[in-house]
Amino acid sequence: MKDQISRIEQEAREELARVDSAEKNELFRVAYLGKKGKLTELLKQLGALVPEEKKAVGAELNRVKQWIESSVEEFRRKSSSAGNSSEIFDETLPGIRPPRGSIHLLQQTIQEISGIFNRMGFETVEGPEIETEFHNFTALNIPLDHPSRDAFDTFYTTRGQLLRSQTSTVQIRVMKERKPPLKIIAPGRVYRPDTVDASHSFMFHQIEGLMVDDRTTFSDLKGVLHLFLRELFGSSTKIRFRPHFFPFTEPSVEIDIQWGKGWLEILGAGSVDPNVFREVGYDVTTTRGFAFGLGVERIAMLRHGITDIRHFYENDLRFLRQF
Amino acid sequence: MKISTNWLKDFVELAPPVSRTAERLTMAGLEVKKCEVLKTPSDTVFEIEITSNRPDWLSHWGVAREIAAVENLSLKNPVVDAEKNRVPPKGWDVKIKDAEGCPYYTGVLIEGIVPAKTPDFIINRLLACGIRSINLIVDITNYVLLEIGQPLHAFDADLVRGQEIQLRKPKAGEKFLAINGAEIALQQDDLVVADSERAVALAGVMGGKDSEISDRTRNVFLESAFFNPIRVRKTSRRHQLASDSSYRFERRVDPEGVDLGCRRALWLIEKYAKPRSISAVIKAGEKPQLEIKTVHLKAEEVKKTLGVEIKPNQIVSILARLGLDAKPHSEEIWKVAIPSFRPDLTRPVDLIEEIARIYGYENIPETLPAREPLSVTESPRLALERKVRNLLSGAGWNETVTFSLIGDEGLDAEKDLKNAVQIVNPLHHGLHWMRPTLVTSLLDVIQRNVNAGADSLRFFEIANVYVMPDIHKHPVEERVCAIVLYGKRSAQSWLDAARPVTFYDLKGVVETVLAAAGCSEICTAKASKSYLIPGKSEELRAWQDPLAFLGEVAPALCKVRGLKEPVYYAEISLEKILAHAPAIRAFKEWPKYPTIERDLSLVVKETVKGGELMGEIRGMGQGLIRVVELFDLFRGKRVPAGYKNLAFRVIYQSTERTLVSDEVQKLHEKIAATLVQKYQASFQA
Repeated sequence: MKDQISRIEQEAREELARVDSAEKNELFRVAYLGKKGKLTELLKQLGALVPEEKKAVGAELNRVKQWIESSVEEFRRKSSSAGNSSEIFDETLPGIRPPRGSIHLLQQTIQEISGIFNRMGFETVEGPEIETEFHNFTALNIPLDHPSRDAFDTFYTTRGQLLRSQTSTVQIRVMKERKPPLKIIAPGRVYRPDTVDASHSFMFHQIEGLMVDDRTTFSDLKGVLHLFLRELFGSSTKIRFRPHFFPFTEPSVEIDIQWGKGWLEILGAGSVDPNVFREVGYDVTTTRGFAFGLGVERIAMLRHGITDIRHFYENDLRFLRQF
Repeated sequence: MKISTNWLKDFVELAPPVSRTAERLTMAGLEVKKCEVLKTPSDTVFEIEITSNRPDWLSHWGVAREIAAVENLSLKNPVVDAEKNRVPPKGWDVKIKDAEGCPYYTGVLIEGIVPAKTPDFIINRLLACGIRSINLIVDITNYVLLEIGQPLHAFDADLVRGQEIQLRKPKAGEKFLAINGAEIALQQDDLVVADSERAVALAGVMGGKDSEISDRTRNVFLESAFFNPIRVRKTSRRHQLASDSSYRFERRVDPEGVDLGCRRALWLIEKYAKPRSISAVIKAGEKPQLEIKTVHLKAEEVKKTLGVEIKPNQIVSILARLGLDAKPHSEEIWKVAIPSFRPDLTRPVDLIEEIARIYGYENIPETLPAREPLSVTESPRLALERKVRNLLSGAGWNETVTFSLIGDEGLDAEKDLKNAVQIVNPLHHGLHWMRPTLVTSLLDVIQRNVNAGADSLRFFEIANVYVMPDIHKHPVEERVCAIVLYGKRSAQSWLDAARPVTFYDLKGVVETVLAAAGCSEICTAKASKSYLIPGKSEELRAWQDPLAFLGEVAPALCKVRGLKEPVYYAEISLEKILAHAPAIRAFKEWPKYPTIERDLSLVVKETVKGGELMGEIRGMGQGLIRVVELFDLFRGKRVPAGYKNLAFRVIYQSTERTLVSDEVQKLHEKIAATLVQKYQASFQA
């Protein structure tokens, strides 16, 4: 019976090659798979075989049957879509695109920046947005009723908590939990009661970074942050380190990047102030480190030429789809 | 703060061009934001950002002192009154009754001034710094404030009653009429300058209307004092009154500047107001001293902090340029004397910052720390977020970022906002809740895009929701993935027709996210959210733990936004998903035995739930059913009204053997018969 099958298969292959119209295709199908088709006849005989033989022959018959079915189907498909001729086929018609979504530009920027620091061995950590006075101010060496607090206007909850005004809070939480050495970055949402306009928003994103051990110096800060900025903005990026004041770092620095003819502030940083180490219970005589913070919106606006911060939060598809 | 370069030249030589001076100041930490060139008279004005730790820079003399330090130049002092042949003002007295608020107060009586025009150079310099000329005496006090940094206040001496000045706390219910016309209800913790009867100034913040200098003023009482920075700050904030004076007092003025400022003003007054007489200065209280007058600095600390070796003699010379006298204390340790105008220098690290500033940050080398690697694990939640983000954005969803603060519009005060976190000082638009759900935020995004003409909208956002289940505990932040769907599922193309989205498109994407996270054994329950239609929403659970809820948004919320089509919304708790997702998935071998497919088409009442039927079918399958799929659902035609036809494809497969057709047929028929009986179903009409 196996011989019969292979003979019929051989026959069918030759016949198939001659099929060039829908009629012939149908005749071909009927000849093999119709009620009295050659293959159908063989299938009917299957019941007469002994079980061992039945399994093997059945599988073989099934294989040929499926091949014929698919060949017939393929011919139908080709001819019905009128595409069986390259003259009729219009390759210039637009493709059918799958829907394309997008990851928000702020998130992409966070991922890119985090990625650079992750590769330098900084671990991404997170902390709560609703915070305590201690984590947002006291531990960061920002005393109550001190002018340094002016830069950190804050939203308060009815229960006396506050919305963190900077991601530096995460430094404190991590240092309270773990011992040095530490290399972390903490991206997240922060809040300040600023009226929304083209360059301000009451909610925005920051990334905080911290490196702490027993030997980190200000020159390490310079090296790491310059490397980061070259990774992000390109190897020929020109930057400058400018003295500044932050309550939680000493010495403090602002880093500017050359942009066109001028300089633009891009990062705030500094050696961690001993008062901060004291607040988290570290030995101030042997612990050294640096911290930095950057605004995600600012960097995304610079890199992509966005001049209005509100685009980020309006979520207009005409904006989202560009990135 | 505005700084006139002409004025600076009174104290220090500025080598041209001024742009170079601006650059040097910026690189020393006094950032020059802008250089404005004035024509008549010719001047260049720097707009300088002065950080809150450096009140000593809040004057021209102070900035000149910094230039002298940075450029290693000599600094000239302002010309002051010689205080010769002066007698105390007869009958005048100063009483400090609140020494904490005012440790040191000086006053001087100037009698018989001549009404005269303010000299042009004063008018011009004030104007360059943004202050209008008022009258000679007031202009001189402003001039001294901008020059030396010491705020002064001049009273019309004839309007001060009882020839007495008191520094005291307000009396209960006492009111004060400020120079700007505001009537202020004084508070217990405020400090006032009062005469024998009433408050004549809110100390350090603003003078009083009743004693202000006018054109008719002939006799002046000039105040120069040190007010407690914290008290001034509190008063200024409490009454929302700020002035150039309060700005300096709250940052702490130089106690030595109190006398200097007074003497500088007297010199100018004597010269330009030509008074008949000037009294001796009445001084009350004590000049506050720095708490820390000396700091010990170890040479090795400089290197350990900065990472650069600076020679000891260079360190001493830098400190000297800053007015810091460093004396050798022991080997490698200096004892550094801190001048009265630098209260910010209290620790060795403060001196190290000063050394670094003058040495030049740009001269400190850059090094890359070589350390042993630390563990850098990605938290499971961040990994899940990344996976969900990639999955959804890849499947055509657009990620949004919306504000965490929302108004109460659309949410139920009892149901949704009961445990929500409220903000006491919202900024505007009534955005005073930390959102307990993202639904209103994403509806707003839909509205914006519909208004912009879009008709096929799919958004998601991964963000926190905030709740306070126990008011005595810290609020809980939970990371969720919110999904919203509106309009057409896909745009019509030349190959495919468009179709509107349905609840099931939303459900499908939620199921896909759960499956991608590795959650299995999901069951459904009723969802009860005020903003979802009760019968058209559900909750997905694993082991009774709600992982997600989804449904059609209540029409009221859509209507206010002018949305005509239904909106579908889901919120998935990423934290809960994690609890039910395996960290590492174990490989499962799939069954090798052949499958047999059978269809089952049933007509049932509309009220019968399809999911229940699918569960029944599976339950009766004796473990041989691999898949139950709903492949068709229709109504009408031969299906009577109130009924629906559901067509299931059942795939049978054993994990242990090849199934025989007869066996499957019998089982399939039995299932069909049971369903017919249990649900009064009939086979396809």
